[in-house]
Amino acid sequence: MWRLALMFIVVAIVPACDRDDGPPVVAANVVVTAPAAGMPMAAGYLDISNRSGANIRITHVSSPEYESVEMHETIVEDDVARMREIPVLEIRDGETVVFQRGGKHLMLMRPIGTPGTVTLNFYSEDLLLLSVSADFTAAMD
Amino acid sequence: MQARILIITLVLGTAVAAGLLLALRNAGEDPAPVTATILPAGNELPDFTLLSHDGTPVGKSEFAGQWDLVFFGFTNCPDICPATMTVLGQAQRQLDAQGQEPVPRVVLVSVDPERDTPEAMARYIGYFGDGNLGLTGEIGEISKLTDALGIFFQKAGSQDGSYGVDHSTVVLVIDPQGRLKALFSAPHSVETLVHDLPLIMGSG
Repeated sequence: MWRLALMFIVVAIVPACDRDDGPPVVAANVVVTAPAAGMPMAAGYLDISNRSGANIRITHVSSPEYESVEMHETIVEDDVARMREIPVLEIRDGETVVFQRGGKHLMLMRPIGTPGTVTLNFYSEDLLLLSVSADFTAAMD
Repeated sequence: MQARILIITLVLGTAVAAGLLLALRNAGEDPAPVTATILPAGNELPDFTLLSHDGTPVGKSEFAGQWDLVFFGFTNCPDICPATMTVLGQAQRQLDAQGQEPVPRVVLVSVDPERDTPEAMARYIGYFGDGNLGLTGEIGEISKLTDALGIFFQKAGSQDGSYGVDHSTVVLVIDPQGRLKALFSAPHSVETLVHDLPLIMGSG
């Protein structure tokens, strides 16, 4: 249920696209979990598929609703969870990278106002690769 | 002679069939915990003093009188902590829906007391269900608990000055006598908790 995609929109793409059967970078299962009241942190999850015909590098993510968005990964080893930032995410041509609970995730920090819908913009340097929007999903759903 | 062989064959066949049926029935009941590690002796909690999410000082006597599921985490943890709290809350709801009595309480012990004030704990705990408990306090008092229970935690800073906390992901089961009775290792699932907890609590 938590992986239910509420809404996603792909708006911009890698320019050197050599395939014409759909968008080159595709998002699915977009979820942003609502934080507890007053908490400065939310998490985002989605699948990103690269169908561009070339490898891509996601160098940063931004959101108009949050001051900062970082790509992180939770690694659980020997019953200890360690969270580490992913500075650059490489996605090979034809590959799908899954952001999911307990694994890769987006950490959304310091909301601007009281967001209802969250937009996430994925960049390779200055180039906008992908933009998705999702309503909050309650954590218990 | 042929009649004797027939009778022996029938008796043996009936015995084998009965044995198979019994084995299948027992397999269906699956009476042993499948995921949890059980501690038959039950390790006693150490003495400690922490603050509950309503600001009240509490010690180990807080754990007497009910079953508790204890998780160590922090409210600024964006991923594994809310994921675990969600699973624990869903397991509580499912146990309640199937008539389990008692339903264990969820207790979150902060490993980030610098940011986790009782007020922050109250907001966070309330988000995942009613009747649960958040504990925070002095780092030395938290360490009394974590040291005794084999829980690891360590601050992990980043270049921009923000920080997270690496921490154990086990869920501890504390019995009504305040003893560590069992533990669940990650990854946690509603199904295994709902399967194992009644068996653990039934073995009291």
